[in-house]
Parts: sequence; C-alpha cells; structure tokens
Amino acid sequence: MPISRRATAAAAVAALVLPLGACGSSDDGGGSTDASGKVEGDVTFQTWNLRANFKPYFEGVIAEFEKQYPGTRVKWIDQPAEGYADKISADAAGGTLPDVVNVSPDLVAPLAQAGLALDLDKAAVKYRKEYLEGAWAGHRIPGMTGTYAFPWYLNTGPLFYNKSLFEEAGLDPDQPPRTYDELFADALRMAKESDGEVATLANVPTIEDFGRYGVPLMNKEGTAFTFNDPKGVELLTKYKELYDAKALDPQALTATPESSGKKFLTEAVAMNPGSALDLGNFKKQAPNLYRDIGITDQITSTGHVNMYVMGVMVNARTKRTPAAVAFAHYVTDAERQMSFAKQVAIFPSTAGSLDDPYFTEQDGTDETRVRVAAAKSLKNAVNYTPVLFSEQMKTELRNEVAKALQGKESPQEALDNAVRACDRLLAQQG
Amino acid sequence: MASSTAVSRVRRQLPASPWLLAAPGLLVTGAFILYPFVSTLVNAFTDRRTLIPGRFVGLANFRELLHDDMFWTGLRNSTLYVLGVVPALVVLPLLLALLVQKNIPGITFFRSAFYTPVVASIVVVGLIWVWLLDERGLINSLLETIGVGRVGFLSDQWLLLISAMAVTVWKGLGYYMIIYLAALGNVPRELHEAAAVDGAGAVRRFRTVTVPAVRSTMVLVGALSSVAAFKVFSEVYLMAGPSGGPAGEDTTLVMLVQRTGTGLTGRVGYASALSVVVFVVTVVLMLLVLRADRRERT
Repeated sequence: MPISRRATAAAAVAALVLPLGACGSSDDGGGSTDASGKVEGDVTFQTWNLRANFKPYFEGVIAEFEKQYPGTRVKWIDQPAEGYADKISADAAGGTLPDVVNVSPDLVAPLAQAGLALDLDKAAVKYRKEYLEGAWAGHRIPGMTGTYAFPWYLNTGPLFYNKSLFEEAGLDPDQPPRTYDELFADALRMAKESDGEVATLANVPTIEDFGRYGVPLMNKEGTAFTFNDPKGVELLTKYKELYDAKALDPQALTATPESSGKKFLTEAVAMNPGSALDLGNFKKQAPNLYRDIGITDQITSTGHVNMYVMGVMVNARTKRTPAAVAFAHYVTDAERQMSFAKQVAIFPSTAGSLDDPYFTEQDGTDETRVRVAAAKSLKNAVNYTPVLFSEQMKTELRNEVAKALQGKESPQEALDNAVRACDRLLAQQG
Repeated sequence: MASSTAVSRVRRQLPASPWLLAAPGLLVTGAFILYPFVSTLVNAFTDRRTLIPGRFVGLANFRELLHDDMFWTGLRNSTLYVLGVVPALVVLPLLLALLVQKNIPGITFFRSAFYTPVVASIVVVGLIWVWLLDERGLINSLLETIGVGRVGFLSDQWLLLISAMAVTVWKGLGYYMIIYLAALGNVPRELHEAAAVDGAGAVRRFRTVTVPAVRSTMVLVGALSSVAAFKVFSEVYLMAGPSGGPAGEDTTLVMLVQRTGTGLTGRVGYASALSVVVFVVTVVLMLLVLRADRRERT
C-alpha cells in the first residue's frame, strides 16, 4: 500500500517530537542520602578553572585520598571559568553532572531546587562543626531546609588606590576614604581637579554594593527583594552625582570586573576593589602603579566586609554517595584548605584556621599585610549576594541602574523597576 | 549496460542500500539541525526551564514577548543592524573586487590583506576594536590630537551600535569580495570593450555592464548578509558587554535569546519563543530579497 508523502513527513516529525517529551526530565532516580556505607568506587570531581595553576596540588590531594581509602578512584576534570554555569547546566540537564562539583552559592541554589544537590545536613552533618558557622550557612537556600555544599575557600579583598592620582588631585595619599561620605567627596574632588580626566570608580553599584551600604536586599522569608528602600535610593542618587561629574568612569555602564581592573592598571581610574592576588599582577604588569599603590579596607556602612564563598557540592544522584561525600569533605577539610591557602591567596572556611600564625603575623611585606587584614575582616564578613540572585537578575539591576545614571529614570523608579523584574524572575524560579 | 545490470542486482539484493549510504548524512542532519529545530519549536509553547521540564502554556510566551520592552529593543537593534550593514556589504565588496581584479604587480598581497579579517577570530577582532575605540584608545588619542576631542564610541548606545556595524562590515568585506571576484570572472570582457567603443566611461560601464552581470550575486550577498546581520551576536556582545550596552539598549535579539535561555535558571521556553521569532523574521527577509530580485528581472 503506497504511503503518502504527507503521512511520511508527519511520521518523521512525530518521531522527532515524541522523544522530546522526555527531554529535560531529570527524574532519573539513582542516588542516596545515606553516606554511611563503605567509601569505595570511582567518583568524578569537577573544579572551576584550577588545573592550569594548581595541577600538582590537586593530583597530590587525590593521590592521598585514594591511598587513605583503598578501592576508590577519583577522576578529576576541570572546566574553564568562562561559561562554567552553562557547562554545569548542560550537565545537569543531560544527567551527566559529576559526583563532586566546585560551586558558588548562586550555582547551588537552582541545583538544589531541582533536587540535584545532596542535603549535607542529612548526609554529612557530623562534619558541620569543622567549619565556620557563617560559611556552613553560606549554602542554605531560602525557602528550603538543608545545606547543599561543603564550604571551601573564602575570599575578600581590600580597596586599592593610586596614591599619585590622589596626590595630583590635592588629596592626602595617606588618608584614603574610609566612609561612603568621604569616598563620594574625594571622588568629586578628583573629577573636578582632573577636569573629568580621572574617575575614582569604574563600576556601577552591584547588589553587593547595595548590601555593603546597608540596604536590606531581601525580606526575611527570601520571597521578595527590598533594595528599592530609601537607603538604596540614597546610594543610587549618590552614584548619579558621581556619574554626572565624571567621578564614575563614563564606560562604567558597560564595564565588567576585568575591564575596570584594566582601567585601574592603566591609571584611568583611581580606586578599584581587588584581592591579594592582584598585587602580583600589579607588580608584573604595571610596575609604576605598584610603586604608588595604596591599600585600604573595603568601605562599608554595616561593619561587615563582603566575602566570596566557594563550595563543593555532592550530586544527589551519585551512585557512590559515601565516596563522594568523603571526597568532598576531604578536599575541604582544615588540613587541605590550609595547604591550599599557602599555594594561593585564599582563606580557609574551617573553624580556627584563620587563627593560624600564617594569617595573623606580619612580615613587613604588602602581601602579608593584605593577607592578615583580609583574614581579620573575614571573621565577621558577609556574602552579600543573595543565593537566589541569578545572572538574569543581575542584568535587570544593572540595566535599571544604568537608566538612573543616564537620567532616563529617577533612582526610585529605576530601583522599583529592578525589584519588580527580579521578583518576577524569582517567582518564575519557583 | 553491464553496470546498470549490476546496480539493479544490488538494489534487488539490498533494497535499503541507498538509505544506508545516506544514513550518516541523515543522522548528522537529524541530530544537529532537525532535532534542535523541532525541539525549539516545541519548547516555545512550554514554560520549560533549564532544570525543570516544561508544561504546555500555549501562546503565553509569545504574548509575553509582545509586552517585553527588551524584546522590542532587540528587534529594533537587529533591524537597524540589517539596514546599516547590508547596503555596505552589498556595495563595498563589489568595489573592492573591481579594485583587486586587475592583474597588477603586488595585487595578491592586497587580496590576501583584504581577506585576513575573515579568517581572524571574531573574539580577537572584537577585543582589538574595543582597545582601539576605548576612551583612551588609539582612535580617541588621534581624535584628541587633531582637536576633535574624545568620542564615546563604547559608552553611547548609538555610537556603540554603529561601531559594531563597522566591525561587521570590515570583517565581512573580504568574504563577499571573493564571491564577487568569482562572479566578475564570468563577465565577458567583450561587453566592456563594446561599451568602451560606444563611448561609455568607467562609471557608465559599471552601471550598465558590471552591475547587471553580477546582479544575481548581489542578491545572494544581500540575502546572506541580511540573515547574518539579523542574527548578529558576537560583535555587539564583545563591544557592548554581556549586558548589551548602557542599560541594555544595544541588545540584539540573539543576545536576548542567549541571556534569557542559558544558565542554570535559564527560561528555555521563553528563549525558544524568541528564537522562533528570529527564524520567522529571517525567512521573511530572505523571501523579500528574492521577491525584489524577481520583480527586477520581470
């Protein structure tokens, strides 16, 4: 019986469409929250752009773990920094997420909501006391119970400033601004004295800037954003003054952390936040700047500096829960974190580690000064970025802030719009 | 005769052999073109997210995009991109091809030089242009030296879009030049000679001989460049940044698809609806170009 072309085409389309019904479904079972069994088997461990500089360190950690737990084998994979979230989302959607994954709190949140991150309050609560209380809480998700990643390394950093540019503007290079009022006053003076040639800041305010300024970012339930309150409007109004006076770089509206770092390197802006890692960079790439570098504390109205938290989560669908939990804990335990901190300018999240002489004793170098000051400030630091604040929300806030700075909207209107858009996205996240 | 008998014998014994031979191509096309295409169509009618399977929501995504300011910004920018880039990419490479068509000593160097941007990585090209157009970059330093003052190529929404268009044209010149060179090679020299004998100057010969002879190539270039321009991503992304310029005002439709649909919280359903719109507009663009050509011929 002849089959019509139309019927053949319909069958072909149906054959293609029908499998799509299963596509995206992540309900493929597997995994257990019980980590008490024997630690054995193969686990995959994914890091975030660490192989290039720390290959021997991680190979050593893996070899020690395999020696301590005979019968285990860890396969280490590393992904580049660029597109890391996309890689994780592709793996998560495709059911190929590694057993142990290096994450930040904002990456954990959607994975936990999709049931892909193991609740460590159930599977590994015995390790909880080994970590700083705030760090352990860093991977909790509003609206959910549980903790979804082991805290790994922390980072924070000072504010760098260019002493020469301060001096040229008639400002005391040894008296950098310590409060927001001083910062705004110095920035306006710098712009005026340099005839708009030198800006003090290169970035528009981000969610963490609002947090540091003392703006309440979310309600207690974590169900709505609140950064459009009077304090938020006050901060944005100040930034608008800076932008109009060219005290905020004209390209700030499209700047990225990398591009503003470059502006600071080329001495086009006078201040930039950074970390101890940047000092080596200044020394190598801009020796003139390095000679004139000033280092001061992050400016906050809350008394708590901002910190970045890295974590290590366990895939809830892993077939090797005991081995995966054991390895995630092993990588993040006090001994491993301390030895990693000595390789690179990061700070351990394990209880008591920051009291080690390495983080408390000065040796007269700038690197140590930055490290000791950062370690001290980390003891009561806060990760201001809400874990539910997605990339799309960051873009919404950034675009509304830009509209306010351009004068297309008032600061109040801009923040109201940003909060409305972020709340809508939050509701869609579910 | 013998070979046709052999073919018939193979067909009788292995009736599926043509399909077997075509299978690798069909599989690749199915997996990488048809499947994603149909998948996007299906997703456009769901509220699917990266990690959450979608439910059928009918036309909700399309209704939402009609009320999405960023969609209209993207549509405006992508349309402006077509209007700005396509005329330049239809005309300039033709002039360039006429220039390098002549067999004069050293012309190979110029042909290669004009083609170099085509093979250069768009990321490298984008970063170089960002460096050139920066407030303190080479171009602004030159402008300042001659007294024009600094121009905010990368901070003004319109200048940013125009700068990105200039990069697209600069990068595409060599590619379309090669297409025109092939077409010009088929234009009979006698036509030019006859026109010259009749007293036609260079401009007249260009209008009455060259343009009609390469008109179908111009249509092809117009169609290809308009589709590419409407789907622009890299140039604008690299120059305007991930947020799409100041307040996102330089966002193009494809940038919006990327921003909306990727990441762990990506709205795959909504981004698919946007992709469907991009697809429909590009098809319409192609049809318009082809129809204009047909009308011209008749």
